[in-house]
Amino acid sequence: MHRINLDTLLYQVEKPARYIGNEVNSIVKNLDTISIRFGFAFPDVYEVGMSHLGMHILYNLLNDQEDVFCERIFAPWIDMEELLKKEGMPLFTLETHSPIKDLDFIGFTLQYELSYSNLLNMLALGHIPIKSSQRGEDDPFIIAGGPCAYNPEPLADIVDIFVLGEAEEVILEILDKYRQWKSSGKLKAEFLESIVHIQGVYIPSFYEVKYKDDGTIQEFIPKKTSYPQKISKRIVKNLDEAYYPQKMIVPFIDIVHDRAMVEIFRGCTRGCRFCQAGMIYRPIRERSAYTVKELAHRLIKNTGYEELSLASLSTSDYSSLYPLVRDLIDQYGEKKVGLSLPSLRLDSFSLQLIEEIQKIRKTGLTFAPEAGTQRLRDVINKGVTEDDLMQAMENAFSLGWNHVKLYFMIGLPTETYEDLDGIVDLAYKVVDTYYKVPKEKRSRGLSVTISTSSFVPKAFTPFQWEAQDATEILKEKQAYLKSKLRHKNIKYNYHDTETSFLEGVFARGDRRLGDVLVKAWQAGCKFDGWQDYFQYDKWWKAFEDCNIDPHFYANRKRNCDEILPWDHIQIGVTKKYLIKENEKAQQGLLTRDCRMNCTGCGINEGFIGGAC
Amino acid sequence: MYKLRIRFTKTDFMKFISHLDLLRLMERALRRADIKLVFSQGFNPHPKIAFATAVPIGLSSEGEYMDIEIEEKVDIPSFIHRLNGQLPKGIRVVACKYIDHRATALMAMIDASAYIAKCVLEHPVEEGDVKKWLAQFMAQEEILLCKTTHKKNRETKKEINIKPYIYHMDLVQYDPLYFILKMTLATGSKGNLKPEILIEKFRECTGAPILSDQVRVHRLDLYTFMDDKLVTPLEINA
Repeated sequence: MHRINLDTLLYQVEKPARYIGNEVNSIVKNLDTISIRFGFAFPDVYEVGMSHLGMHILYNLLNDQEDVFCERIFAPWIDMEELLKKEGMPLFTLETHSPIKDLDFIGFTLQYELSYSNLLNMLALGHIPIKSSQRGEDDPFIIAGGPCAYNPEPLADIVDIFVLGEAEEVILEILDKYRQWKSSGKLKAEFLESIVHIQGVYIPSFYEVKYKDDGTIQEFIPKKTSYPQKISKRIVKNLDEAYYPQKMIVPFIDIVHDRAMVEIFRGCTRGCRFCQAGMIYRPIRERSAYTVKELAHRLIKNTGYEELSLASLSTSDYSSLYPLVRDLIDQYGEKKVGLSLPSLRLDSFSLQLIEEIQKIRKTGLTFAPEAGTQRLRDVINKGVTEDDLMQAMENAFSLGWNHVKLYFMIGLPTETYEDLDGIVDLAYKVVDTYYKVPKEKRSRGLSVTISTSSFVPKAFTPFQWEAQDATEILKEKQAYLKSKLRHKNIKYNYHDTETSFLEGVFARGDRRLGDVLVKAWQAGCKFDGWQDYFQYDKWWKAFEDCNIDPHFYANRKRNCDEILPWDHIQIGVTKKYLIKENEKAQQGLLTRDCRMNCTGCGINEGFIGGAC
Repeated sequence: MYKLRIRFTKTDFMKFISHLDLLRLMERALRRADIKLVFSQGFNPHPKIAFATAVPIGLSSEGEYMDIEIEEKVDIPSFIHRLNGQLPKGIRVVACKYIDHRATALMAMIDASAYIAKCVLEHPVEEGDVKKWLAQFMAQEEILLCKTTHKKNRETKKEINIKPYIYHMDLVQYDPLYFILKMTLATGSKGNLKPEILIEKFRECTGAPILSDQVRVHRLDLYTFMDDKLVTPLEINA
């Protein structure tokens, strides 16, 4: 019945192949022979969601369990949403095109704060009540994980279960409990009781938050004394033994990252002070080159992909990168399978490596100095010097590259206009470097793109107490850079400040933001990360209607002794360490890469038992 | 180096993927089937896969063709079996043969397509009416279509006679609420008529209460003219 209707709808939408499923390596199971139906939901469109590695891992892991069937759910694009509403049809899964309400679990991955409104919208389109307190015994459990789950509080009223950390093991433990519970015929609340002690599980409705008169948190209280006071994240100890899929769904349409991906390590030891990923994904764990090659072999064989990507937070830090890349080139060059190495630090060694894998096209190169002066780079602990950068530029230009992108952040703690001038200086020095390279060596037509994003302080970073620059200040800074970066070879890009502000509010928000979210969604907010659909005025009104001051969350500097909304969550890196790092930042002192020598972040105490 | 001509279907949900999607899908399926493809030389090597036409999104078909070049000869039944094992539901290789590697490119060869089209009606009509409309439509000396082209911000309007592009148009099934037409129309670089456009013109000329947005078209086959006869790309000796 639904299928017939769907066919008609598909004739009326843009990119209908977003909704058809049926891709190679997608899995369809007989609904009569399975006991748990899981929906992996990505709160954005297909092309974005399908590019996310975590989805491919969990999809295959869950479907490898005989009695579990995991399907995919994405946010329908605006045109499809309108049709679904018009026809009264509920949001459906890709695999069987069944209503998402029929599932046992809907698991959202929270990759960025600006996708929260889509999460609400998807539930509503699935005819599922938004708030957990409104959902009945027949509704699915709403479970969520991913980096934003480390500050789960803004979604505390909406999500039933949060999974903190790496879900590969904990999700199966949750499903084991679910099987037992399902056969017992007990109420939903009892299932939640049965999983509350699994490490990595956080049930927000089991806790209560009390606030002080000044709006800060007074106390975070478990409703029963038996509930854990602190909730620790989960990690997979050994990446070589951890689950990794041998196949990935191969989409029909062009998606953002359309290639086979092998994760070469998790975590990062650099310790950049603005970077949440660098803290929450600790400790560093590498997958052995042998396993990487095994997985690459199987993935290429099973997907037919013409490109393989080695995924991690900082590819250059992989201990045997060069031999690994050599082996992969030897093995797949003949078959015309390309290799891509994202997140490379561009020293001379990396350029050589890129030369080798990109014997063909000299596409753009991207550098991320993040800040314009050495002083500010030291503050954020980004261990890059101007010499490094200019050396890399000179090499790149001599080797024939002529398109370079430089990424910076504006609004970093302690930033002054001198630091902005530093960005301008660097841009012009890059241009000079290009013209100093002999004509016969460089390619014609230089283009230097300077991109600035606006710094958003995130939970669990040394900057979690810092105030975000107000939008007016950021706008002035952007205008300043714009006026200074006028040159025929230079292009300046910058982010919308209102979007960064909203991201800043939710990144460090608490439970009171749940109502704002619902109000904004009711007013029609969705796809906030898509510039064309972001409706700042509606968000603003939602804050007003709820009598909540968003500046309290984004632009206020916190004291170190304030109880933060995410303090009950433990990522292994201690608060003490973050405070120390914040103090060192204020003094402009660097912290070395902890591969060289432990810097005492705390992750090796209790989490992995011993050294990293 | 060997050249294979392949006939395949594009039906079910696969009618919703684009031409570029299809190209990617075929390359990846051939790779998974471990068929050694020949690649183009140069900076950005591409496998040598060439389709007869670009199938528009929404059109289903049981008569699509592509030529591929491969390094090692494989026997036909095994090739079909291996490739079909890697294709999603809705895309199926139905026939294939080796052709001379100097054979005329498929794209250049195609002259005509056969389609069936289901036309859903706004209100019930008599079978006699449909037949009358068809006869009346085809009896016209010329059928003029107004074509607007954009060239460098300039809009030019041109009237073209599409009658010579209709080789055949016939009623094959009737129901008070819909009817199905079978038609053979010009396709390719020498002349091209899209079935939806023809049906829209038919509606305009005859007043048949066709719901334009519910017209569903299915391609039966592709042809080339040989001695005034229509033959499929697999029937000619190439």
